[in-house]
Amino acid sequence: MIYSINHRTTYVYEKPVGFARCVLRLTPATTATQTLLDSRVTVTPEPSTTLVRVGPFGERTQTIVIDKAHSELVITGTSRVDVGAGKNHDRDASAPWEAVRAQAFGTRALGTDGPAAYLYPTRRTPVVTAITDYARTSFTPGRPVITAAADLMERMYADFTYDPETTTVSTPAAIAFEARSGVCQDFAHIMISGLHGLGLAAAYVSGYLRTNPPPGKPRLAGADATHAWVSVWCGEVDGWIGFDPTNAVLTRQDHIVLAVGRDYSDVAPIDGIVLSPGSQTLKVEVDVVPDSEMVPEVMHHSMRVDAE
Amino acid sequence: MAAEASIAGREPQDLDPASAARLSSWLRNYRTLPGVPDELFDVMRRPRPDWLRFLAGFAEYNHDEARNRFALATRHIRDTGVSYRIYGEENERSWPLNPLPLILGHREWAQIAEGVEQRANLIEAVLQDVYGEARLVESGALPAAALTGSPDFIRALRGVKPPGGRQMQLYAADLGRGPDGRWWVLDDRTQAPSGAGYALENRLVLSRAYPALYNAMNVQRLAPFFDGMRQGLAASASRSDPRICLLTPGPFSETYFEQAHLARYLGFLLVEGADLVARDGKVYVRTIAGLKRADVILRRVDADFLDPLELNGASRLGTPGILEAIRSGGVAMVNMPGAGVMESKALLGFLPKLCRQVLGEGLKLPNIATWWCGQAAEADRVDHNLDSLVIGPAFNGLGDGGPPKARLVADLSAAERDDLRGRLRDRPGDYVGQEVVRLSTMPVLRDNRLQAAPFVLRVYAAWTPDGFRIMPGGFCRTSDRTDARAISMGDEACTADVWVIDDQPVERVTLLAGKDDVTVRRKLGHLPSRAADNLYWLGRYIERAEATLRLARSLCTSLMASESAIHNSGETLAGLQKLLIDWGALDETALGRGSLEAARDTLRDQQAYGSVIYLVRAARRTAASMRERLSADFWALLLNLETELAETDRTPNSEAEALQQIESALQILAALSGLAQENMIRVAGWRFLDMGRRIERGINACRMARTFATETSTTDDLDLLLDLVDSQITYRSRYLVGLALVPVRDMVVLDCFNTRSLAFQVQALKDHLDALPALLDDGMLEEPDRILLPLATEVETSDAVHLDDAKILQFERTLMRLSGAIADRYFLQGAMAVPTIKLASMG
Repeated sequence: MIYSINHRTTYVYEKPVGFARCVLRLTPATTATQTLLDSRVTVTPEPSTTLVRVGPFGERTQTIVIDKAHSELVITGTSRVDVGAGKNHDRDASAPWEAVRAQAFGTRALGTDGPAAYLYPTRRTPVVTAITDYARTSFTPGRPVITAAADLMERMYADFTYDPETTTVSTPAAIAFEARSGVCQDFAHIMISGLHGLGLAAAYVSGYLRTNPPPGKPRLAGADATHAWVSVWCGEVDGWIGFDPTNAVLTRQDHIVLAVGRDYSDVAPIDGIVLSPGSQTLKVEVDVVPDSEMVPEVMHHSMRVDAE
Repeated sequence: MAAEASIAGREPQDLDPASAARLSSWLRNYRTLPGVPDELFDVMRRPRPDWLRFLAGFAEYNHDEARNRFALATRHIRDTGVSYRIYGEENERSWPLNPLPLILGHREWAQIAEGVEQRANLIEAVLQDVYGEARLVESGALPAAALTGSPDFIRALRGVKPPGGRQMQLYAADLGRGPDGRWWVLDDRTQAPSGAGYALENRLVLSRAYPALYNAMNVQRLAPFFDGMRQGLAASASRSDPRICLLTPGPFSETYFEQAHLARYLGFLLVEGADLVARDGKVYVRTIAGLKRADVILRRVDADFLDPLELNGASRLGTPGILEAIRSGGVAMVNMPGAGVMESKALLGFLPKLCRQVLGEGLKLPNIATWWCGQAAEADRVDHNLDSLVIGPAFNGLGDGGPPKARLVADLSAAERDDLRGRLRDRPGDYVGQEVVRLSTMPVLRDNRLQAAPFVLRVYAAWTPDGFRIMPGGFCRTSDRTDARAISMGDEACTADVWVIDDQPVERVTLLAGKDDVTVRRKLGHLPSRAADNLYWLGRYIERAEATLRLARSLCTSLMASESAIHNSGETLAGLQKLLIDWGALDETALGRGSLEAARDTLRDQQAYGSVIYLVRAARRTAASMRERLSADFWALLLNLETELAETDRTPNSEAEALQQIESALQILAALSGLAQENMIRVAGWRFLDMGRRIERGINACRMARTFATETSTTDDLDLLLDLVDSQITYRSRYLVGLALVPVRDMVVLDCFNTRSLAFQVQALKDHLDALPALLDDGMLEEPDRILLPLATEVETSDAVHLDDAKILQFERTLMRLSGAIADRYFLQGAMAVPTIKLASMG
């Protein structure tokens, strides 16, 4: 499945900004299951320097510096990505989760393909006893890891309410868990916390989700959104598998990976520091258009536009 | 002193009877702990020769003399403000030091030095691999997850070649002597080892307290170590004559004093994250002459906080883009961010094998047996021996839900034990099991008795162009308790100097470099903007404190029943009080109250933002954040002044007492001014301090003239004004006719010979601005000059007859504008330095 993605972010400043330094993570990854065909990031006003490199978690980044005064900053990422169907995993044949945990702590891979990078708590995904205990219900002794993780995901889908009003981009996982409510980012952080609590490796994935317009209606420009889910390391044999707790599905051809990290902070599409005496407003528009049409199916999608 | 002369080289048998009795009583009553080796006594309770020689010499001071010598030397500690801070506390604590040093013979020391050097080389090699090809991980010698749990494993710097070539230039090992008498490594300090500056300070105190003894004992000197360290840092820069900065987390850091002290001792620029700018792959310091390149950064900021753009986004201590500058090779950071990963307890257990694999030899200094529970076999072993082990966090900084601090399992309650077992099962990789270590003891002096105290010794290694050099000495911490598994500065620990005794006389070390190696220079680079800012405000606070004291003095004298009590007219007094209220020294309600109360509040009211104590505190706080720029004397005077005003038992009960306190405070301030004038080197720093004073004094002169020299002023008012500007005598010798408005105004505002007049301040300010560097070489006037020049001309050409209130007010306002322009031009907090904000993010 080939997608065209247009991801446009507009910052409008109350007072002109004289200097900005940003890290952009807007170039989708090429992974085992998806291939980046084409990608371009444009910035207005034109940066004085742009440095393209690969970030610590394998994400492709642009570091830009703008040193002329501007009142509006527009950053657009445009990509074409071919997403494959991926492997079919036999859930019940996967390794017992305790064995997967032992494999993860014993790994010889220091790189980001291996589990070692994703085993430890972060600021946004601390180990929280209540969340660990919630996750433990799914992880009964000896249970195959994919079955257990899918069970956790499905329980979260059943127990949690999707509600953009209850949380913000900086709400801690523990608070969202108490409220049993939030958006894709919260659900991903909570699920990662729970898996970490049991000693399993789990990563935060930012990306896009194909959505479909209501039957008979045209696709509205800018109506899609970025999405977030969890990638769980399921042992040496099965490797990384995507679990989407917002929609209770294992990720397949509808999920397009933008970047993978330990939590949201590692993969935020735009990270920046500007010299500014005033406030800012932010607008994000995303279009995810498949080259061919698929059978429409209704899914939640995550969308949040709030300023921190 | 008689004793001092006889001490050198004295053997115990040559002691006079009183000294011999002291020595023998010390030794007889010294109780060591069972099963624990001691530094003074060997297993047969025989004193070791170097210790005996020291104690024999020390016994020649009678009890009082020993105490006095030490007390005198430690006063230096208080006077220079050697201090540390316990995390979370606002006030610093003064430094606890033992009167006796830890004494180590040169053979013993050689083993320690060799072991520490080997360990430094091993850790450097492991770091090079971890941030390079990671072969040790691939080969299974080092599990990946034993690295990734550390917040100091900086993934963003994998594959980056350190600009100076090395991952770690400074290293420290915490050592303890185990029950078998061998030295063991308890902890590695690989991020930014602290304490070396305190070691310097401890040495200074002890060598001053017992100079003859110190010289006779052939104690190895510390200076060559620091010289080597400086050479090593300079060599890591990409150009000769580099600018080296010490990056501090700021005055609220636990060891800020030490950082400031080291920066001053080594001649480095002390900077905070906000003082630095990363541009075009390089790092610059914001100075009063614009951005100047920083070549080498010796950091005391933890890696995670260095760069809010790439690392911890919430950090206020860092500099955005600094990691990028490291990647481009534009700045050498010492130690490299990420070197701290080797401090993880998880790695301790792997070092013996790694040493064999990497260096092809065994560890010369063993570490405490440690098992990382991330491995199944080790976790089993820990589980089976749980009750005999200490279980603690494998990594620092695992956060709120992370492991509890290290505990001996045998000490836990049944519930705690169950909880721990559960945690170990869920997240084994977060824990290590360690065998219990009991430290050896050394004698400390308490109440003229020797007592055995457990201790930890921190030994430092600095990389020099000739390899690692080990500081002969170190930073020793002793504990009050008999079980010393963890000694931190917070837990009533005390410190001790460490004397490494040479077997031959120590050469007097001079740090003179070869004649051809040094280029003569008279200025130490450009003044950082933040330092300029602080100095300027220090000047203003001190001047305002002085002016306020003068006002308070007049309040008191107005009440005293003496013949010269003149300012007793109600209006003059009201004017005085109103000025104090306007300045925030008194609150509005004070108006009706008596003058003694008013004077007392003016001096000591801690809540009033204009009171003398408040201003002195503000001055002290400002001074504290740039201690490396102020002399010890300056700091001591400032502390003195604060103590004098803050002590509650000295609250004045009469005008006479208040007056006495005011006079004494004024004297201290006069001494401070004298120091600044005579002892501060006349570079930019002094100019900012003086500019602060001049602006404040100029504004105050205008203000006082507008209050007490108006068309309606009485002779009482004029008389008071002359008092306030300290010009009574000059006036009376010049004008025999008595007090009149015009000559008084002239003297206070326009007289360029009167050091307290506005005209004098304006001239001084002009000299300062002329001498300061220009930002651009385009010959154009900068904003402060644009404001000051017309003012100077006008003041110079005005005559007192035509001077009126409006004019004086205009002068005053111009000075205020000038102050703003100076801030904008030279300081970080000026209008040009806009605040940074994070771009909003979206989910």
